[in-house]
This record gives sequence, structure tokens and C-alpha cells, in this order.
Amino acid sequence: MTGNIALLSGVVLFSILAVLAKDLIKSAISLAVASLLLGILFFLMGAPYAAVFEISVVAGLITVLFMLTIALTKTDGEVRESKAVKIVFPLFFIAFIVIDVLVMKNLLPKIQVLAGAAETGTFGEVLWKQRTFDLVGQLAVILAGVFAVLALFRKRNKDE
Amino acid sequence: MSETWFVYLGFAAGLLAVGLYTLLTMRNVIKLFIGIEVVSKAVSLVLLSTGFARDHILLAQSLVISFIVVEVSLVATALALIINIYQKTNSLDVRTLAKLKG
Repeated sequence: MTGNIALLSGVVLFSILAVLAKDLIKSAISLAVASLLLGILFFLMGAPYAAVFEISVVAGLITVLFMLTIALTKTDGEVRESKAVKIVFPLFFIAFIVIDVLVMKNLLPKIQVLAGAAETGTFGEVLWKQRTFDLVGQLAVILAGVFAVLALFRKRNKDE
Repeated sequence: MSETWFVYLGFAAGLLAVGLYTLLTMRNVIKLFIGIEVVSKAVSLVLLSTGFARDHILLAQSLVISFIVVEVSLVATALALIINIYQKTNSLDVRTLAKLKG
């Protein structure tokens, strides 16, 4: 459990670094490290497939996409963030956590536990037999993403 | 209901706070998008830790994988939009978008 808490703290710390870092490249790398730690945590929780997806897709592919966007949108003058952002952050963070803990302490025990026996079978059976309809949705989402990117980058006609 | 579940939920709340703060205060479009990514990390952590606490880790795992696929699609589309915005306005400041007309 101590290792898990250390990993969780790492995820939160690197996320904070990703958000507050001035350099966008450093932000993207911090985000990738946070994803990597989250992937290791998933692996320790007994979810190896989710861990593989988290590490390869979120820490790998999304970071590459971020880097590409940062390289393609190099500006001379950087966007100036408000100076108060870094000062107010700790206050907001602590206030949010305190309110969240107070609300959830009363709310969580009221949630009823769903009836149902413990899971049997393998991951493949759950994914392909129980959640088959989800896969159709995933295909639709991927196609929508592909068409959106194609539409955004299409070449203009000569007469336009 | 285990004590460990509350620990996971607490850390997920921390991630959510970081992401929401970014979305509320930052001006750089790419930074805003990094905020959305942090929020999505919180969501996948909540999904998987709930499955872990309730002994439904396989179901939670398949949901997390679906979520990651959706997330990648979202990232690709949004980054393409950001590049298009940059080509139009030559800036990444979100305030310039408010000045667009037509």
C-alpha cells in the first residue's frame, strides 16, 4: 500500500508540474511521466491490459501528438499567464480537497453496493462477451475522430 | 467499502482539482488541454480503483480501455483544432478567440 501511495503522490505531483511549468515541452513530458506512474499503478492493482494501454497510448502516443502540436505552433511571444495563477493554486487545491473529503465522507457510505457475485472468467470474455456493444461505440468514436481530423486538414480547392 | 478505496478517491480528487484549476485560470490553449488530460487521468483512476475495491477489476479494466480509446480520439481532434486556430489567429491565447467575428 505504501508503494501505491507513493505512486499516487507521484502522479499528482507530476500533474501539478505539468500544469504549472512555463515551458510547454516540460509540461508535455511531465504529463507523460504522470501517465507512466499511473500505468505502473494500474499494473500493481491487477489490471495489466489497462496498464499497457495507459503506458503505450496515453504516455506514448498522446505525448507525441502534444510535441507535434507544440512544434507546429511555435510563437515568438509566449502567452502570458496571470501572475496570480501560481499564488492562488495551493489555496484552491487545499480548499477543494477539504470540501471534497467533507462531502464524500457523508455521501459515499450511502451509495448502495450493487448485487452480484464476484467476477469469473478471463478479461477476454468480459471484454468481448459482456461489453460487446461498447466496442461498436469505440469504433464509431475512432471513425468520428478520423473524419474530424481529415475535415480539419483538407486541402482547399483551387477556385476558392 | 474499504479504506484503500477512499485513499484512491482522495488522490483522484486531487487530480481533478489540478485539472479544474487549469481550465479556470490558464490562457494558453495547449495548457487548457493539458488540464483536460489531467481530469481524464482522475476519471480513469476512479473507474479502476472502484473496480478494484468492489472486486470487479475485469469490468473496470474494459471500461478504462474504452475510455482511453475515446480520449485518444478526443486528443487528435482537439489538437488538430488547436493547429487550425493557430493558423487563423497566429496566437495560442484563448482570449483572442473571443475577438473572432463571423
